[in-house]
Amino acid sequence: MRAGVPTMSLGCFLQAGGQHVSAWRLPDAHARASLDFPFLAEMAGLCEQAYMDAMFLPDSLAAWVGDLDVMSRTTRGEHFEPTTMLGALSAVTEHIGLVATATSTYNHPYHVARKFASLDHLSKGRAGWNLVTSLVPAESRSFGTAPFPSRGERYDRAEEFLEVVRKLWDSYSDEAMLRNRETGRYYDPAELHLAEHHGERFRVRGPLNISRPPQGHPVIFQAGNSPRGRDFASRNGEVLFTAQSALDEAQEYYRDIKSRAAAAGRDPDDVIIWRGFAPLVAPTQEEADRLESQINELLHEDVIWDLVQGPLPNVDFSGCTLDDPLPALAESADGRQDLLHGMAGLDRLSIREIALMAAGGGVVAGSPTRIADELQEWFESDGADGFLLAFPYYPTSLRLFVDHVVPELQRRGLYRTGYPGKTLRENLGLPRPQEVWR
Amino acid sequence: MRRNDFVRLCAFIKPGGSYASAWRLPDVPADAGVSLDAVARVARTAERGRFDALFFPDTLAMPWTDQEVAHRHGLISDVVDPIVLVAALAPLTKNIGLMVTASTTYNEPYHLARYFASLDHLSGGRAGWNLVTSLTDPEAWNFGRDTHLDHAERLARAEEFYDVVCGLWDSFTDDAFVYDKESGRVFHPEGVFAPRHRGEHFEVDGPLTVSRPPQGRPVIAQAGASPAGRKLAARVADLVFAIEANREAAARQAAELRDAAAAMGREGGPLFLPALTVVPGRTRTEAEDAMARLEATADPTVMLANLSFYLGCDASQFPLDEPLPPLPPTNASISSRDRLVAEATAEGLTVRELALRQDRADTLVGSAEDVADHIQEWFESGAADGFTVIPPYLPGALDDFVDLVVPELDRRGLLRPVRDGETLRERLSLRRPAHRVPARTAAEDD
Repeated sequence: MRAGVPTMSLGCFLQAGGQHVSAWRLPDAHARASLDFPFLAEMAGLCEQAYMDAMFLPDSLAAWVGDLDVMSRTTRGEHFEPTTMLGALSAVTEHIGLVATATSTYNHPYHVARKFASLDHLSKGRAGWNLVTSLVPAESRSFGTAPFPSRGERYDRAEEFLEVVRKLWDSYSDEAMLRNRETGRYYDPAELHLAEHHGERFRVRGPLNISRPPQGHPVIFQAGNSPRGRDFASRNGEVLFTAQSALDEAQEYYRDIKSRAAAAGRDPDDVIIWRGFAPLVAPTQEEADRLESQINELLHEDVIWDLVQGPLPNVDFSGCTLDDPLPALAESADGRQDLLHGMAGLDRLSIREIALMAAGGGVVAGSPTRIADELQEWFESDGADGFLLAFPYYPTSLRLFVDHVVPELQRRGLYRTGYPGKTLRENLGLPRPQEVWR
Repeated sequence: MRRNDFVRLCAFIKPGGSYASAWRLPDVPADAGVSLDAVARVARTAERGRFDALFFPDTLAMPWTDQEVAHRHGLISDVVDPIVLVAALAPLTKNIGLMVTASTTYNEPYHLARYFASLDHLSGGRAGWNLVTSLTDPEAWNFGRDTHLDHAERLARAEEFYDVVCGLWDSFTDDAFVYDKESGRVFHPEGVFAPRHRGEHFEVDGPLTVSRPPQGRPVIAQAGASPAGRKLAARVADLVFAIEANREAAARQAAELRDAAAAMGREGGPLFLPALTVVPGRTRTEAEDAMARLEATADPTVMLANLSFYLGCDASQFPLDEPLPPLPPTNASISSRDRLVAEATAEGLTVRELALRQDRADTLVGSAEDVADHIQEWFESGAADGFTVIPPYLPGALDDFVDLVVPELDRRGLLRPVRDGETLRERLSLRRPAHRVPARTAAEDD
């Protein structure tokens, strides 16, 4: 637990079609949520009522699922581009943080620095950047025919990319903008710092054509789990999220990241760890279990196979049935395999059971008390400082969580009863970064 | 000849207004470039005034590098990215078009296709893209280049860029997404046409990660003034923005554009919307007073920097309130130089007067009737299908246009009634492009 922070933080992972691959087919699911902005704005309003820290938008720059027939049976086929979607959300929300995913592998630092500085200004200090290095190899084909770079290359680029972005955000100091109508001086040239970056991958002069973001820098979100990923995340990330489903593995991750951060000279409390969590809430445990079965029955068999085969392209499934155990795992550079590895006890499960776990993205079905119990246990035993909530479907899963779990957490003194600050940083209790050239 | 029934109006929104020092006026928010409240107020005014679209310029750098000039140049150093800005305006407006400038030189087609498709979905079909190829070296310096790409290369890249983007927008047919809970199909696999583009500048595979934009294609604007730029405009643009010195030149330009579009087999051709920088008042005197207040904000350093540019020599040390001194000889061919020298000599202008005149350029300063007359004359003589209205200071000059000129235009029957729920294409009577199957798809190749 972070010193002086007795309450957990919560964010909403907005996979608009629902975290569970087949839940959109339920009668009370809003199937067309992916591009329904008024509906998503209403969901953001619910999250704000529950004092959540952030709306978090995942992204990929290519279709997530390779097989067209499988993709056509999921809602992953379309989504808003995150910075535009959150730009729109900034106009109709007041408190909640707005975290967009953007890759350093297929972007240019000037554009990313500018988009996030803009989002931070428009939202008055509520922007966050989920820095990813791309997960889906197909993204390479949206930007040319060069092969998908290795993890090492992607992280090398991310290091330099982030360095440039920070320099650009700090083009002007906090005090630079004079806007003095009398003298006609708009800014103080002594407070301007050109990036003048001449690196291996980027040459960027600067300045960024915008004043320093209200938060100094938008909050950096990161999810790295490989050794290189943990190294990068613990030095640069401010909110790290992880997919571990077993408490002991999560505790190991928590300890490892915090000690890496300390070794890098950071206050470990300035690194917040969120567990990805998909709560399927129902009034009673029986109803929650029944609902989960109902959703699983809506899964098409082709989708089930793809959920296992897709992340494990090098595993030979021929001759297997869904009720067989998983064949031996091969080594792969594909980051998606890590998502499966994050699941506990793969060796004890059948292919179908693994697929159902993957389909739900780690759904935990339970009564409000049971869900609150699990969050409490993880929070109090240093499994997580907070949770990134991937609701199985909208609006019901979110609404039930807000109406029943949040009050339960508040009764237990584990959750806030108001927003403590105005910016995302203030609400998360994160320090405001100094200009990099200071 | 009159081509359309109604005058089309776009509001060109540079934060604070187009006049560099406008932010020094007390009613102009000095942080207008980063304030959603300031821009939202302007957007609502334009919407109330039945403007068809807001039009946001953009550059990917602070264009002034001399800090003495730059730090006095005002808002241009402090502006949000217009794509994110327009996204924020989408839920705050209901029927006005949202046109944004984006460069084909310093972007990737997949990104822009996604941004604009996303904007079109967010706004219910009100998005537009002003396709530019960028102008300045400082932009090149931010993207790893020492100099700007040469003109021909920029245009060739833009032509191909546009085609890649259109192909990506057509990744899905209009009716591909069904979200059928019964069958479990979100979209029909046969409605997917993932383009596989292999060209000189780009190699891109689709599909895009979003369904076809509500307008099929967001509205395309272009402002190319060179022959190659005009050719691109004639091929791709729905709207053309231009700066024309007079009605005759505008009429000629509009006719050439129509002919060029017709030669490419386009029926109708782009709407031609010349720039109209305007300070309207209840009376001419009131308008002149407002202009005088605006010009009083002009900063000597910036004035002389602008004058240096147009004279093609360093004017920074010229005494402001004395006549224009003799200029050093120059080899550069600068057409503005001869004109300015001739005017200064003929009228005995001081340096300050000359600089103010250059910055004022073709600004129309007049009563509501004067402005409406200008609009009507150009419109009815075929010199314009409408105007890109440029307010020199905001919100004031736009407020006055909407409160004074728009009612006058309405009395004359020149403005189209507004219907909520229309797309920008519908509003501008532009055809919705049918879905096209790409020449080459990923599926065929695999």
